[in-house]
Amino acid sequence: MPQPEAAVSPPMPAPDELTQFFWDALKERKLMIQRCQECGHYIHWPRPLCRFCLSSELAPGEVSGRATLYSWTIATQPFHPYFVDKVPYTLATVELVEEKNLKLVSHLIECPEDEIKVDMPLEVVFQEITPELTLPFFKPATAR
Amino acid sequence: MPPRRPNRVAIVGVGYSTVGRNTGLSADELTIQAGKAALDDAGMKPGDIDGITTMGGDALRDAWTLGMEPLNWFSTTHAAGPAFSYAALQAIAAIASGFCHTCITFRIIHRQPPSAARLAPRPAAVPRGVGGDYQFLAPFGAGSPTQWAGLLTQRHMAQYGTTEEQFGAHVIAQRDHAALNEDAFFRDPLTMEEYLAARYVSKPLRILDCDYPCDAGSAVIFTTEERAGDFRKKPVFVESYALTAIRDLNFEILDDMTSNSPPHCAAEMWSKTDLRPEDVDCAQLYDGFTIITFQWLEALGFCKPGESGPFIAEGNTRLGGKLPVNTDGGACNVGRRHGANFCIEATRQLRGECGERQVKDAKVSVFSNGVGPFCGAALLTAD
Ligand SMILES: [Zn+2]
Repeated sequence: MPQPEAAVSPPMPAPDELTQFFWDALKERKLMIQRCQECGHYIHWPRPLCRFCLSSELAPGEVSGRATLYSWTIATQPFHPYFVDKVPYTLATVELVEEKNLKLVSHLIECPEDEIKVDMPLEVVFQEITPELTLPFFKPATAR
Repeated sequence: MPPRRPNRVAIVGVGYSTVGRNTGLSADELTIQAGKAALDDAGMKPGDIDGITTMGGDALRDAWTLGMEPLNWFSTTHAAGPAFSYAALQAIAAIASGFCHTCITFRIIHRQPPSAARLAPRPAAVPRGVGGDYQFLAPFGAGSPTQWAGLLTQRHMAQYGTTEEQFGAHVIAQRDHAALNEDAFFRDPLTMEEYLAARYVSKPLRILDCDYPCDAGSAVIFTTEERAGDFRKKPVFVESYALTAIRDLNFEILDDMTSNSPPHCAAEMWSKTDLRPEDVDCAQLYDGFTIITFQWLEALGFCKPGESGPFIAEGNTRLGGKLPVNTDGGACNVGRRHGANFCIEATRQLRGECGERQVKDAKVSVFSNGVGPFCGAALLTAD
């Protein structure tokens, strides 16, 4: 679909060598989180060292995309021009099932406000925002 | 040799610049006004000062401008810390340890633009990209402090059943206090209907749950107990204090959004004094967002975890209640001072200077600042 001339770009990540894998994996519809190869802890947001065992043997690890809803807020005020016509949207802090306190900031989608419940199970949805940017959003988990 | 005991620290001067939006004042002018106001309050000359700490200024430049030299302590704190208390606790620690004897602390807030200004059309709004941790927020339309405050507020509601009316009860009580403070910007009484009708910034956070951004210079002068009697005003003493961090500057992915740095800070502060929460006559608890005051009420032990909502709704935090809280009206009403107003209001209450809003016979107060990754607090007493 042609973009209107005045279309504003979304805020784009500027990955560095620590974070490049995260954004590259999303384009392949995979959720990868930095993981310590010594002790197995996941680390998000990425750091140059495992803060649990001080190992620098770190590598991307694919996660299931399953999570629970830790908290949420309905953004009604845009703080960047790109979001002017996107509000309201539901920002969510989700906890990935792989590890306690392994949290990610995302959007909760496909969930009416009156059905949002704390700790509800969620699953990842890969949303292509632009050809250069795919974001991991979350929706209520389907029964399995 | 016997171990050296820390010096007891006193507050002997407090002051503000002209405050407001569009004051026309530069950061230097805010610093000069606040510094002179605090010196005047103390009846002190610049040469009496041998230490300076600031957030929002430049310690050496400001000291030189104000004629404060030679210095035995100086520190310019950066933004990743609990604002005023970060700088104030460095002053207290420097005096307690003997680095210097009299230290002035500034919190200078200049040109924090309203969010509307950040939204103004920018033809070159295609950014080169967002790096660092912010790359995990900005592409999602996250990263505004109002949004993490919304997350913290929502989690408290979900975990404990805290209601929007309970947040409203706090906002209304603070406004009633502001009505008794002629320096407050907002002094008209507020009804629950008006609170509930106020727009959401990041639901459940309303505009009335946010402090009021403005330009302000705040200054507080600390000195040793030995010198405290030499100045104009009755000294107020720093009974106990703590500066806490539990992680780096990331609010959106806190392990625990309802109980984070304040309980650690409070435990440390209470461990250094025989005073107990029930000894506190009034509390001045940071309200950058309403939820922060709620967390401090719980952390400091004024109510149980999760019970700040009912505690406030029962009227305990109003003037005349069990524990009057934010008796100047809070930063929602006096404007953003990043915690300095709570130290200054606690000092004025303990001096008995608060007129209509004076808490009778106030002898013990506490001020706090920050939440989430880091925070600071101090317990103040009048002899
Ligand atoms: Zn490790």
